[in-house]
Parts: sequence; C-alpha cells; structure tokens
Amino acid sequence: MEYMPNFQLHRPESAAEAVKLHSENTAALYVAGGTDMIVNVRRGIEQPENLIDLSAVTELKAITEDKEGLHIGAGVTLKEVSGNEHIVSNYQAVAEAAAAVAGITHQQYGTLGGNLCLDTRCLFYNQSEWWRQSNDYCLKARGETCHVASGGKRCFAAFSGDVAPSLLVYQAEVDLVGPEGTRRIPLAEMYQNDGLDHLTLKPGELLTVIHLPKALAGCPSRYEKARIRGSIDYPLAGAAVRLEMADGNVKDLAIALTGVNPYPQIVKGTDDYAGDALDEESLDKLRDNVRKQAKPMKTTTVAPWYRRRVIGALARRLTAELAG
Amino acid sequence: MNEIKPTKTIGVPTPLVDGPEKVAGKAQYSADFMPSDCLIGRIFRSPVAHAEIIDVDISAAQALPGVKAVITGDETDEAYGILPIARFEYPLAREKVRYKGEPVACVAAIDVETAQKAIDLIKFKYKELPSYTTAQEAMAEGVVNIHDNRERNIEREVDYDLGEVDEGFEAADLIMEETFNCTEIAQAQMEPHAAIAEYDPTRDFMTVHASTQVPYYGHLMLAKILKMEESQIRMIKPFVGGGFGCRTECLNVELICALVARAAGGTVRIVVSREESFITHRGRPETDVEIKIGLTKDGMITAVDFKAIQRGGAYSGYGIVTILYAGGMMFGLYDLPAVRYKGFRVLTNTPPCGAMRGHGVTNVRYAFESLLDKMADELGIDTLEIRRKNLLQGPKYETLNEMFINSYGLPECLDWVEKASDWKKRKGKMGPYKGLGIACGHYPSGASKPVNWSGEPHATVHLKLDWDGSITLLTGAPEIGQGSTTMATQCAAEVLGVDMSRFQSLTSDSKFTPKDNGSYSSRVTYMVGNASIDAATNLKNILIEAAAKKLEVKPEDVECLGEVYRAGTQDEGLTFNEVVKEALVGTGTITAKGNFDTLPESWGTKKYRGGAISGSMAYAYAAQVVEVSIDPETFEITVEKVWAAQDVGKALNPLAVEGQIEGSVWMGMGQAISEGTEYVNGLGITNSMLDYKVPTIIESPPIEVGIIESVDPHGPFGAKEAGETSLVSFIPAFVSAVTDALGVRPLDLPVTPDRLMELVENSTSNKEAAE
Amino acid sequence: MSEKRNKTLLHCTVNGKERDDVVKDNLLLADYLREEIGLTGTKIGCDGGECGCCTVLIDGVPQHACLRLAATCQEAEIETIEALAEQNRLSALQRGFHEKLGTQCGFCTPGMIMAAEGMLRENPNPSEDEIRQGLAANLCRCTGYVKIIEAVQFAIDELGSKGKAA
Repeated sequence: MEYMPNFQLHRPESAAEAVKLHSENTAALYVAGGTDMIVNVRRGIEQPENLIDLSAVTELKAITEDKEGLHIGAGVTLKEVSGNEHIVSNYQAVAEAAAAVAGITHQQYGTLGGNLCLDTRCLFYNQSEWWRQSNDYCLKARGETCHVASGGKRCFAAFSGDVAPSLLVYQAEVDLVGPEGTRRIPLAEMYQNDGLDHLTLKPGELLTVIHLPKALAGCPSRYEKARIRGSIDYPLAGAAVRLEMADGNVKDLAIALTGVNPYPQIVKGTDDYAGDALDEESLDKLRDNVRKQAKPMKTTTVAPWYRRRVIGALARRLTAELAG
Repeated sequence: MNEIKPTKTIGVPTPLVDGPEKVAGKAQYSADFMPSDCLIGRIFRSPVAHAEIIDVDISAAQALPGVKAVITGDETDEAYGILPIARFEYPLAREKVRYKGEPVACVAAIDVETAQKAIDLIKFKYKELPSYTTAQEAMAEGVVNIHDNRERNIEREVDYDLGEVDEGFEAADLIMEETFNCTEIAQAQMEPHAAIAEYDPTRDFMTVHASTQVPYYGHLMLAKILKMEESQIRMIKPFVGGGFGCRTECLNVELICALVARAAGGTVRIVVSREESFITHRGRPETDVEIKIGLTKDGMITAVDFKAIQRGGAYSGYGIVTILYAGGMMFGLYDLPAVRYKGFRVLTNTPPCGAMRGHGVTNVRYAFESLLDKMADELGIDTLEIRRKNLLQGPKYETLNEMFINSYGLPECLDWVEKASDWKKRKGKMGPYKGLGIACGHYPSGASKPVNWSGEPHATVHLKLDWDGSITLLTGAPEIGQGSTTMATQCAAEVLGVDMSRFQSLTSDSKFTPKDNGSYSSRVTYMVGNASIDAATNLKNILIEAAAKKLEVKPEDVECLGEVYRAGTQDEGLTFNEVVKEALVGTGTITAKGNFDTLPESWGTKKYRGGAISGSMAYAYAAQVVEVSIDPETFEITVEKVWAAQDVGKALNPLAVEGQIEGSVWMGMGQAISEGTEYVNGLGITNSMLDYKVPTIIESPPIEVGIIESVDPHGPFGAKEAGETSLVSFIPAFVSAVTDALGVRPLDLPVTPDRLMELVENSTSNKEAAE
Repeated sequence: MSEKRNKTLLHCTVNGKERDDVVKDNLLLADYLREEIGLTGTKIGCDGGECGCCTVLIDGVPQHACLRLAATCQEAEIETIEALAEQNRLSALQRGFHEKLGTQCGFCTPGMIMAAEGMLRENPNPSEDEIRQGLAANLCRCTGYVKIIEAVQFAIDELGSKGKAA
C-alpha cells in the first residue's frame, strides 16, 4: 500500500460548482489529469485538505470552433489536442507540443489546462518529503534557502510545461472562472517571472477555456524540445516558433520558450525581423538573442549553459525550417 | 513404423517455462503476498551522511495505537555482509550512520498511515561528522575514518605486476596514456525491493519471501543477525523483477523485515519505494581509470600499466572482489606480455556499491579499449584489425595470471561483426556526424571459488521422478527472468530425450530445493546446467537399469530413445511410463541428484593476493560494432544500429541467449549515453525513474545478434556465459563510433549531449588558438 | 489508530464485473486493484507515473493506476492484465510476449501489455515507429525492447490473420 496523505475528494460536475467548492473548503486544490499533481501530493509537496477533481466536469472537455477562432476546453486531454485535425493543420506547434509531453500514457489523461498550470520544477523541490527534510527544504516549500543559487532569495524553479510556448506564439487567450466571475486575459498574462508563484491566478480561479485566434490560423509554426530521453522527460529547453513569410521576407515572427525560465517566455525583439530576409547572419543573430533571454539555472542535472546553447539552436533551426 | 528419436531440446528456441504466468499477471512477486493479518513495515532513514548516533527515541512511536513494534540498531549486534572478511554492516545502524538514507529504525503497524505517523514520531539525535562523497576526499590525509579498521578509508589496495612491464614499455614504439571517469550506475531493476517475513512464535520459526538473487546467502545472514538456528528459517524467492546484481548480496530490507516481524510476533511486509531502492543501491561504483599502453609500430601490445580507483560507498559489500576483478580481468581477452595494476577500493559516505552486471570489468575494459582505439588511429591501423593482431593464441592458452581458457571464439566474433556491419566499406566513410566503432569484451562463467567455502559442490540439482511419469526439477538456482529454470529443464530433457512437457519445476525454496549459491557472476548456466545434466544422466542410468531388467538384457544393450527404451532395432521396446513403473518397484519415488564442481586448475593464480578472483571455468567473448549519428546543433546522439557477436560456447536456448545479449547491449547503452547517479551533500538527487535516465523504447536501437558457438569442453553441451559480456563491449564500441563521427574522443561516461558539446567546442577553440 | 478517513461509494466495473466498494478518498487505483480486490497483476515500479508498470485501461484508455484516485473512477470500466485471457487462454498479445520473449523478469510486462492493448484497439496495424510511440511511457530493464516490438508484431500478425481487431 502506497502512503497517501489524507484529504477529502470532491467531484463537481460543472466549473461553477468546482469554483464554489474551492471557495467553501480550506486548503483546496484543483486536480485535472493528475499526472503531476498526484505525484506532488504523494511527495508531500502539496498538502491539500480538499482535492477538487475536475474529471467529471464535462463542459471543460470540448473543442469548438466559431468565427472568432478555436476554443479548447482546459479538460481536453493532450492526446486529443495533438490528434485534433483542426489544431494539426492550423496551429501545428500546439499539436507538436502536446505530443511531446512526457509519454503517450500521460498524454491520454493529462489535460491541456493541467499542462498550462503545471508547477515550476527544480531538482531540489521535486523530491520526496524525506529528501527535502534531509536537505533543510528550500525557498519554494517550507525552507529558508535556495539550493540552486545559495543565499538567493529568489526561486529559479523552471516552468516545464511543453504546450504554453506554442499557445503564446499564437497569442492565445484564456478564460478564468473565479469566485468573482469570469475574466478573459491573454495567456501571457497568466504567468509571471517568479519560480515561487509563477501563475497570476487569483485564489480559487480555474482555467476553463483556451482561445486560439482565427486571424493566425494556418500560420506555420513548430515546437521542439531538448531532453535526455525520447519520452517521459520534461523539456530541458523547448522552443515554439511561428513564422509567416511574404515575398521571401519575414512578415510576422514569434518565438516563445519553456524550461529555461520560471515562466513560459515570449522572446522579445522578434518584431525587428519584419521585412528582413532570413540569411545565415540574421539567423545567428536571432539565435544569440534567444540565448540572451533564456536564463536557465541549475534546476536539472544537465548544465544550464547547455540548455541556453540548445534553446538558441532549436529556435534558430525551427525558424530556418519554417523560412524554407 | 515411424522412426523413434529422442526429443531434441538443446539449441531449440524455447519460450520460458514460467512465461505464461508473467504475461497473464499471475506471477507473484514479493510485494504481491498480502495475508490479511499482515502488518506494514516502514523504515526510518538517516537524514545525515556521517554522524555518531546519540539517541534514537522511539517512545512516542511505540505509544501510538496500532503500532506493533518499533526496532532500532539495539535489535541485533550481529553484522552482515557478503564477504566473510568484510562483514561490518548492521541491518539498522549502530553507534554511527554512514550514508544518507541508512536505515536507523523500523516500525511495524496495522496500516501504512499508522506506520508513517510512527516514523514521524521518532526522534533521532546525532553528532555530525565530516562526510566524504568522492574517493579523493575520503582518501586524503587527516580524514576521519568511516570505519575504525579502515585507515584513510581504503577498503583494499591492490598492487601487482606480471611480466616485464618496464621492458615492455621500452620495447614499445608508441606509448600513450589517458584518464577516464565512469559515473556511478544503478541497476534500476523494475521491481522495488520487497520482503515479507512471517514469524511463528510457537515454533520459533521464521519464513521469509524476498526479492533476492541469493536466497542462500540471505538465509545465512538471517540466521546470523536473528541469532536463530539455520534450520529454523525458511527462505523463499518468489518471482523477482530483475536483478542485474542489486540483489546478489543479502539486503537490509529482508533482514529488517525479519527482525521487526519477530519483534511484532507476526507477519510484516516491507515494500520500499523507488527512492529507497536507489538508496539501497549496490550499483556499479564510480571509477577513475588511468591507463598506459605500449604498442609496437605494428600494433602489438608490449605492456599495460593501469590504475583504478573505485568509490565504494559506506560499506564493503562485494567491494574487495570488485577491485580485484578490475585488475584480474585485464587478462584473457588479448595476448598481454606484461601488466602492472594498482587498485584502490575506497569507502565514502554514499550508499554502498555492489556487483552490478559486468561486475568490476566494465569500466576498466572501457578505458583499455578506448585507448587501444586511439592508438590504432595514431598508428594508422584499422581499429578492428588492431584487435585481430592481439588475439590470444588459443584456444588452449594460459594468461599471465593463470586463467583457464579452453574456448575462445573472439576471432569468429570479429569476423561476424566485420561482415554484418559492412565494416570494410563503411568505416571512416560515414560522412559528417555519423560514425562506426568497434570494441571487444569478455566475462567469466561464474567464479570458480565460491564466496563461502564449504567444501560442497558448486551446484546441485534434484530430479524427482514419480509413478505418474512426471519429472520435477528442483533447483535452488534463483530464476530472476534470465531463464535459468528453462535452461536447467532443457539440459535434463535433452539428456533423457523426452519432451519438456514431462517436466515441472520448483525453484528457490529452502524447504524443498537443494541449496544453490545464487544467480550472479554468470554462474548458473555453466554450473547448474552441468548439475542438471549430471542429475539427468544419473536418472537415465536408473531407467536404463530398470529397462534392462524388464527386457532381460544387459544395461549396455539398452538404447534410450526418450519415450522408448529398447534392446535392439527389432525390439518394440518399453514406453517411458513402463520403464518408470519398473524402476519404482521396490524403491518408490526416485530422486536423482546431480552435482557440479569446478576444476582446481580454474581457481586462479597464487601469484598475488586475491588471485582467485577472475578464475573461472570458461570465459565468454564479444565483439560489437555500433553505428551512431549526432545532431550537429544539440549534440544529441542517436544509436542507429548495433551488431553484437558473442561467443556463448553453445546457445542452449537461442531465444533466451538473444534476449540476454540484446538486454546487455542495451544496458551498456544506458551507461554510455544517459545513466548516472548524482549526489548533493551525500543526498542522491537522481533517485527516481524520471531523474535516473534509463533509456526508453524511443532511443533504443535495433540490435542484430550474432551467436558464435566455440563449444567449451567443460560447459554444459559446450555453453558459457551469455548475459554480461555484451554489456562490457558496447560502451567502448559506442565511444569509438562517436569519435569516428566527430573527430574528438569523449573520455568520461556518460557521453551526454552537454558533455559532448563542451568537448567539441573546446577542441575547436584549441585548434583555432593553435592556428 | 489512524483518524477518520473520508470515503466514497465507488461504483465501477473491473474486468467485466460490476462492483460497489466504499473506498477512501485518498486510495490510489493501483492499491484498490492490488490490495482491496487482490488483482496483483498490476505492478508498482516507481513513486508516481515514471515507469508504466501500473498501466491499466480505464474506459479503454491506458492510464497509470498509481496516479489515479480510485474514487475518481466512478462508473468507469477498468481492465487489468487479468482481464485479457479468455477462459485462461492467453490473448494474442500475451502469447506474443511469451513466445517471442517480450518478457524476461516480467515485472514491466502487465503494464507493457496493457499499453500495447490500448494501442492496438485504437490502431490495429501500427508501424514499428507507431509501436515505439505507443509504448514510450513504459520502461523495461531486461529486454532492450527488441523482443517487445517483436512480441507486439506477433500479435498484430495473429490478429490480422484472423481478420478481426484486437
């Protein structure tokens, strides 16, 4: 028998009910697929008194399309995302990213919403209770110090979700349902550069829908991640690139990164390439620009400098491939 | 009338006799036994790497309702360990803790929540001592000794030379030396360690099921630490989910389980977590190898001088054997006229290492093969050809350390990989970022001298034949998925000429099966196979006697055709069952026994202390070609294809032999490309299947296996080792291929993309600086 | 004694048999199957979702039983390795793993076979690459995966020659 901490499970059937349960119960947490959350509960990283399971909320499991664009429920599984024909043909990087998460089994019950709200990760944090206790805990959970940057008062745990960058390059927006109602914000605003608290969600807010704009549908894009193994692993570094060319020159370029910062980050300065032809020199400049903005720390067993090098190489390669 | 023939079993691809249970989900592993009255055991582990124990306060834990027993190091003052000369590990720490995660106390409670709550109530007071996580730190001047009797934490220093080493180097045209670091490797067997111990206070009797490769050694250690008569213990090995050496010595899990079961007066199950399985460890030690080779300009080896330093962890385990293997197994692959070896086995404040697959041999062989490869390039000799030049002049050959080599299929292995990989056409012509590499390896077929010298044979098999004509094979040899029970059955069936369906088997239950030393060092096929042949031969003789009596002829006139025994071709003969009936007259159920013992000539050399280590009845040989491609931007390496030839003497079960070779090649690949443990302040940070990078199916290559059969004169039907040798040869062949692809040679393992990128960039910038 | 536990009345189908069980809210599906029902074919090889040994089918989809709470399997149809043999006759996949030696120690085998079963139900004729993708969340430490791929291909051929889907 595996040791599990005690908690009360709730299985709401609507988003509104879920939000209500969250506000009515102490120390409540949402769980969607559970591929990450249940691991964290088993390790004592999360210690909920109430766990609000979203698997019965059917309204979060739909993909719909209208004149505005595509709307993906947060409860849609990653496998549905990667296999959805509309997403594959119009938002290719999103499908590629969903197919790159962990392994195939995780994709079959892990959800898009869960991947976007994934906790940041660090070697010193994603360990057992005994381990963290033996290491005096850390800044991110119950401790005073950061073991990555000793003496540091900032947490550098890395955002490690695969799908967020691909949605960011398509300027996705999200619906957040909370005790005070529903709001719609750009996905980029759901994150902030803080490993301790990288989500800007208000207490009890639930991510319900991801909107992909029609205006960018069909715009070519790619996602690639570096990892040690061909499956199961989180990204050491991942890049999504969306590139529209016109008459051999860049019309619109967007790049976003994962695994190299506490939040999924949109690369700044890509507007500067508008109107340029992408030659070797400008691609090298692009690569160097990406490297400068990525700030991986020693949160994985692989050296940070390598992750910075690779993120530049991936962004450069994908851009060159998309440029044709 | 159809011609009656004995059934052939040897050499026939044969699915495992215990396969159906595994695929049906019916196979029961240690964690699957859960009687209703079973208590749950949980272990309190040290949060500190090196400390004096001041107090372990268990009073609050004991007072918790539902807790049936809490034990500490006070429970037993008997130490355990695999080697009689190095037993100083306690199931629960006494006086000192020596690595983070070392068991300090154990709770048995009615359920897991209660057990965990009790663990949380234990108060551990200690005085911290300096701790050492590298061999260099632990060996430095002025260190605190981790064990009183091991000065400067050196568990064993080995120092010898054989042949004229200095003269050898003087005669060399090219001398090169290199230093290699090989990261610590874990077995990461799929089944976490588990034990269930049932103590019967009425009879003062202990029954233990445990995930082990060595139930006999476990039995011995249980008796020692429990201070019970050996006859009052029953040790059972159920299905085991992989070994690879992590269970080749008795582990603290089964010992603690038995101690706490006796304290609780009942049945306790301990199933440790994956993290705890990593902490229990017994993996391959981190090894630094410095090696120097002398070659003539024709590529002939004139001398080898090498040094190995192993970070052994906090307790000895097999450590002394490991450091001796690292030296002794330099011999026997190539013709070496002179060798000097210096080895240090060092104690550190990390989890204890053990006898992992390719025990002692792997890292040193990697270093040797890599340097030889580099020197061949320097001399402009093809890397396959340089190995041919240095072959033993076999098969009857004696090495400087008196190895007993009677079969040597390495030349044929080289021929096979050369042809299969199209070596001549492709080597050196693969194009940028693609490469081919080659290397060889060898491994013993069991150590000829047992760990515990008792004067008993190395292996014993019983065959029980009863009135129904069924034969039950009883063997203590632990089936751990390698197919040993199938192999032993095949050997007996072949001798008797009957179909394997006549057989049932019972393995590794001390109540029924004869003692066996265990599944390690590739001993089982050679030793238990021979014992099975011996038992079947004895049984066959009994049946021939019975048939002769019934047919009223002399035994030498009886022809055994498996299902028919007859006195001449015109004779209709007797069926097997008729012979059995006759054989049982006046004696009843028959048990035929077979033994195997090693020949004293194979016991190794007396030229240096510890020369028995690496003495074996036979050695298996392997040559391997590996093809890689490398991403020029991310330096991710893809192993495109592997051609693996191994001289297994005789493939008794070609299906299982292929499986063993494929598995070995692949496990070598893990060590070469991605695996390795890491510690921060003595705390393992790779203790999960996420952070310890066992390769997935995605990056695992196609492997083409070439089975070479040199037919060893003493092996069972000529067979020898099949499950370790090809691991050893993969790693240097892979690094050779990476070097072919990039023009720079990685030295340290694993060859991860970040290390490779650094290496290439340093080499490029060095070149630029030189220009 | 442990404190009072939150519990749920679970109604589900396990290997074709309807069940009503009171389960603790924090009970993992893997423990429900192994310890409450006694279906020990499902193995636990890691501390959560990393090895694939506990893979079972939930409504036909491979999932990790070690990361799923039993109480969330309300009205679900759960299939474990014990469900595949019909009247003790091994399924084509099980025979493939046995006859082609896709199993050595056997500990990853139940999860591996269930992942393969889920894959073949969705795609009865996968390419070698698709087989690799379909089994990519399942680790094996014995075989190097070579014979696992052959085992699945054996089953594909068997099922194909019978002209019916898995």
